[in-house]
Parts: sequence; structure tokens; C-alpha cells
Amino acid sequence: MTWRDVIGLAARGVARRPGRATLTVLSVALAAALFSALLTISRTAQVRVLDQLADGGPLAGIEVSPAAPDPTQVDQDEARPGVPRDLDQQALRQIAALPDVRTVIPLVGTRVAVAVPETIRLQDGTTVTTEGGQGRRRAAQGLLFEDLVGADIRRASDLPVSVLAGRLPRPGSTTEVAVSTAWLARLGLDRTQAERVLGLELDVGAPRVFADSIRSRWVRMTVVGVVAQQAAGGALLAPIEAVRPARAWTLASVSDGPFRLPGSPYSGAFVVARSLDRVAEARNGIADIGYSTSAPENLIASVQRYLRVVEIVLAGIGLIALAIATLGITNALLAAVRERRREIGVLKAIGARDRDVLRLFLVEAGVLGAVGGLVGTVFGMGLASLVGVVVNGYLRSQGLVGVRPELPLTVAVAGVLGAGVLAVLAGAIPARRAARLPAREAVEA
Amino acid sequence: MDGGVAIAVRGLHHRYPAPEGVLEVLSAVDLDVDAGGYVAVTGPSGAGKSTLLSVLGGLEALQEGEATVGEVDLAGLAGDDLAAYRRTTVGFVFQHFGLLETLTAAENVELAATLAGVRPAARRARAAELLDAVGLADRARHAPLQLSGGERQRVAIARSLANGPRLLLADEPTGNLDEGSATTVIELLERLRVERGCTLLVVTHNRALASRAPHRVALAAGEPGAVAS
Repeated sequence: MTWRDVIGLAARGVARRPGRATLTVLSVALAAALFSALLTISRTAQVRVLDQLADGGPLAGIEVSPAAPDPTQVDQDEARPGVPRDLDQQALRQIAALPDVRTVIPLVGTRVAVAVPETIRLQDGTTVTTEGGQGRRRAAQGLLFEDLVGADIRRASDLPVSVLAGRLPRPGSTTEVAVSTAWLARLGLDRTQAERVLGLELDVGAPRVFADSIRSRWVRMTVVGVVAQQAAGGALLAPIEAVRPARAWTLASVSDGPFRLPGSPYSGAFVVARSLDRVAEARNGIADIGYSTSAPENLIASVQRYLRVVEIVLAGIGLIALAIATLGITNALLAAVRERRREIGVLKAIGARDRDVLRLFLVEAGVLGAVGGLVGTVFGMGLASLVGVVVNGYLRSQGLVGVRPELPLTVAVAGVLGAGVLAVLAGAIPARRAARLPAREAVEA
Repeated sequence: MDGGVAIAVRGLHHRYPAPEGVLEVLSAVDLDVDAGGYVAVTGPSGAGKSTLLSVLGGLEALQEGEATVGEVDLAGLAGDDLAAYRRTTVGFVFQHFGLLETLTAAENVELAATLAGVRPAARRARAAELLDAVGLADRARHAPLQLSGGERQRVAIARSLANGPRLLLADEPTGNLDEGSATTVIELLERLRVERGCTLLVVTHNRALASRAPHRVALAAGEPGAVAS
């Protein structure tokens, strides 16, 4: 008998008691749903928490400062930088060549003046007053002086930047800018009101000190997004193409004056190690090259361990549910064997071998388990998505980045196959019992 | 007669464990059936008729004695060998029909060929031919529950012939049928025996049915028997 024949017969066997089959499948489906929902929620929470720790960037991210390393700080997550040191193209090349480094993203920073009228009309028609801002005094002539950070936006996914509202500036754009939550505070807004500043136009000037005056080159930039960014200190984030000319203009000042900029060509770099467990080696390598680094590696590793424990516990609960459900399969199949003794005898009388009968019942169990597993996994993912919607609603109301529930395909496939395999194991005893029934059952009254 | 297998049984004993000890159902039974023969096995309940059929059909392993069906010595068979013997040499017809309710008439007939590893197209053709032979070509796609008792037994007969057996064993084949259907079924068995060249053993309580067979074997409960066809 081929597998196709066995599967066909098994499917007929399952269909013969639709009520029982449905209940059995439902029990497996509910367990699989619980299993996949718990894993999805656990995995999503893990991603969210780690993402929060990594400030939206990769877990293996390392900030490089334009400073020499302080030997006493090398193993610290938030290492205190040593004396300033220029971070130039050659240094970046050396860092990029380290075996534990996957990528290096240079950052350029400069000081800019932002023209801010006393009252700003936002795109939604409301107005805010800059006098309501916190912690910063308005300069004369309605100017705020800010740090503008430039980064390669094409590689934003490798940067510790989370978009809270809107989007990032387009790569290469010189007229788009994203503002940080700190900048929102200047307008008296909090992160829950981030959407309100989208579309706001800012006049951003790069100042330059001449012998007898200060002149600025002005660019009108549109706020396209609000971000939480930790790539470098700065309230404004723009494509590196927009920041380089502004910095070059300011650096050409005749004297340091009030806009003194560090001489380092790059204000920092964001390095991504090949994996979290290679962060330490990458940091050591960068320290050997001569630069100070910081990375939340110890914190992330520690939190990751706790989250893994939570995941194991939740998966364990799901597995227990699955195991209980598979006992239902054992029970249903034992009942089927009792009811079908004569049928099994007839099958043997017309030539079925013990292993044909064994296969038949194992496949029946597998079919019940796999169908239940498939239905349950899909249902569980849906359930997790529903939970995600509720959680997102809460997170967004708090001005936080939402979550995206996701169950890795491998886990989903493993859920379905696992349910099938558990069901086959659960069916082993009934199947064995069926296979051992004597052919004589065919002629028993 | 061509076809069929000769049966030779010598000193056959068969016992079952019972609460009160070992129950000897067959005791020193001798039996000879010519190739292509037609024998009715009669006897009271508990005489061992079905057990004799089970042993000759390979439903149970031989415990003691000798039994040869054609060239096959049943004493040496067990497990898969016994299954192969049932598949290739024997066709069973049961009182309860033994049809799988979830399969159609054609699929029930095909099932026996499926177990023998016959390819789908060939077994479909064989099932169609056999259902035609038992007069049920137009009921091929009906489920057993949609057929009368007589029709179900005719499907079971078609199934018993699916692998071209040389020995047909029928255990009370008309026990669940009305008189008209019983006559139809037994005439069908007799006709197919001749057409297909099989040896036919029919276990029955029915004297009229038994009297149709040219040879009759009577088993007495608990007594040794030496019978010949």
C-alpha cells in the first residue's frame, strides 16, 4: 500500500466520525493557538524591549566617539570618553576592516541656527509659542541654536533611530529634516503630539564668523518626521549630504567665536558588530585603533537572558497544552480502535500487514494533529495580532513606537509539524494496538 | 476441474485460552478437498467451523497438525508471510459483509487490490469488471449503506475475487440475508467458482444451502473429526 493510499484511507477514517474528529482537531487547534500566540507575544515583547534598549538600532550597535578611549572604561556600556581625538576617513577604514565589524556609518554634526518666530502656526491650524518651551532660552532675533546631525539615511535601519511620527528625510535631500523629541519640548509639545509638527517649515542657517560679522547660509527645511535618536547628540537629523556643506561653511570661520566646532571630520560613527556576542571584540578592536566606544551590550545580554527564560516558560506552557491535546488524540484513536476491531480484522483478512494497519492509524493521528496544528497556529497568530492592535493603541497613546507582532516562519512551521509529530506519538499506542489485533477479528461475531 | 487449490489437513488441533482453562476448538481434524472442489462445512455453534475457516484462510497461525493449501504449507507461515498468503491465495466472504462504510462499492473492491500493490488504473479496471460480474456495475459509486444486504454481499464477493484467489472461504455468507437474496448470493458464488476456477468452502448453519454443495463436512462440538470431501 502506498503512502497516498494510506493517507486516502486515513482521511476517510477521520471523516467517518466528523463530530469526534472536529472536537479532537479543535483541542489540538486550541493548544497550538495558545502555543503560537504565547510565542508570538513573547517574541514580539522581546523584540520590542531589546529595540527599546538599542534605541531602535541593531542590538550589536556601537557608538564611536571622536575621542581616545579611557582605559578604565573599556568594559563599560556607557564608557566615558578620554581626550578628544579626530575621527577621520582613515580611522573609519581601519574600523571597517576589523573582523568583528559588519558596517560603519559615519556621522557628521554641526551647529545651526533655527529661526523660530515667537508664535508658530502648525499644519493642523493650531499655534504654539516657543516661550512655552523647556530648558532653552531663545536667542536674540528669534533664533534657536541646535546641533544638526547628518547620517547616511540609506542605512537608517542600522542606526539607533526610531520614527515616532512621519518618516525619515529622503536620502540626499537638502530640504527635509527630522526633529527629535527634545526639539518638540522647545515648542512645549510632548511625544504624544509628535504628529502636529509634521510639515512645519524651518529656516535653518549655518553660521560663519567673518572678521567683522557673522553671516549665515539659510536653507528652508521641512519637518518630515519626529524621531527618537541616539546616534549622536542633536535635536535635528538630516541626510549627511545636507549637513556636510553647512559644517564646511561654519568651519571656515576666521575664528572659533561662538560657533566653535570640533576639528574632527566626523562627529562620531555608528558601528554594527557582526553579532551581539562579537560586540566586545569589536569594541576592543576600536579601542586598539584609538577611539572610545559605548554600547549597551552588557545590558542587552542580561535582558536577553531574562527574556529567553520568559520565552522558555511560555513555550513550556504551550507545549503542556499541546501534550494535553494530544492525549485527546490518543483517547479518540483508542475509541476508534475499539469500534473498528472488525474492520481492522477485515483489512487484515484481505491482505493488510500489521505495518499497513499501524501506518493507517499513525497517519490518522498525524492528520488530526497537523490539521489542528495548522488551524491553531493561524488562529494563534491572529490572536497575537489582535493583542498587538490593543497594545499598539496603548503604546501610541503614550507616544511610543508600536510593535509589530511576528512569529518567525520557522516557528510557525515547527508548530504545525510539531503538532503533527506529537499527534503521531500520541497515536503510537492505539496504532500499535490496532496493528496487533488478530485477523481473526474479521470472523468474530 | 482446472484452477483452485487442493486442501489437505491432518491432525489439526486448535485451542484458545479461556477463563476456565484452555478450550480446544478443533481436535484432530483431517480434511481433504480436491482442487476446485466445493465443500459445505456444517455443525453446531462452537463446533469450530469458523476456526477451521480461519486456519485455512490464514487468519490464524496453525497451532498443531498439518495443513496444506495448494503448494503452501500453512505450518510455516506467520506474520507478513501469512498476510501475503491471505492477499494472494484466499478470498473471504463474511456474514457481516465486512465492507468499509466510508468507501464506495468500487473502492471496497479496489481496496483488496490496493493492498496487493496493484496500480490505480489497473485496480479501477479490475473493480469495474468484478462489479459487472456480480451485476452491480451501476452501483459502483454507491456507499454500502445505500445498498441492500444482498447487494452488499455481492460487493463483498467481488472484493474477495479482486486478487484472483484460488480459494474462496465464505463464513455464513447468507446468514444476514432474506431467502431471495440468499439464493442469489449462493448461486453467484457457485457460478464464480466455476468461472474463476476456485476451490470453495462455505460455512453454514443452513441445511438447504449446505445441501447444494457436492461435499459436506460436519463438525461436532468438542469431538475429533476425520472428514473428507
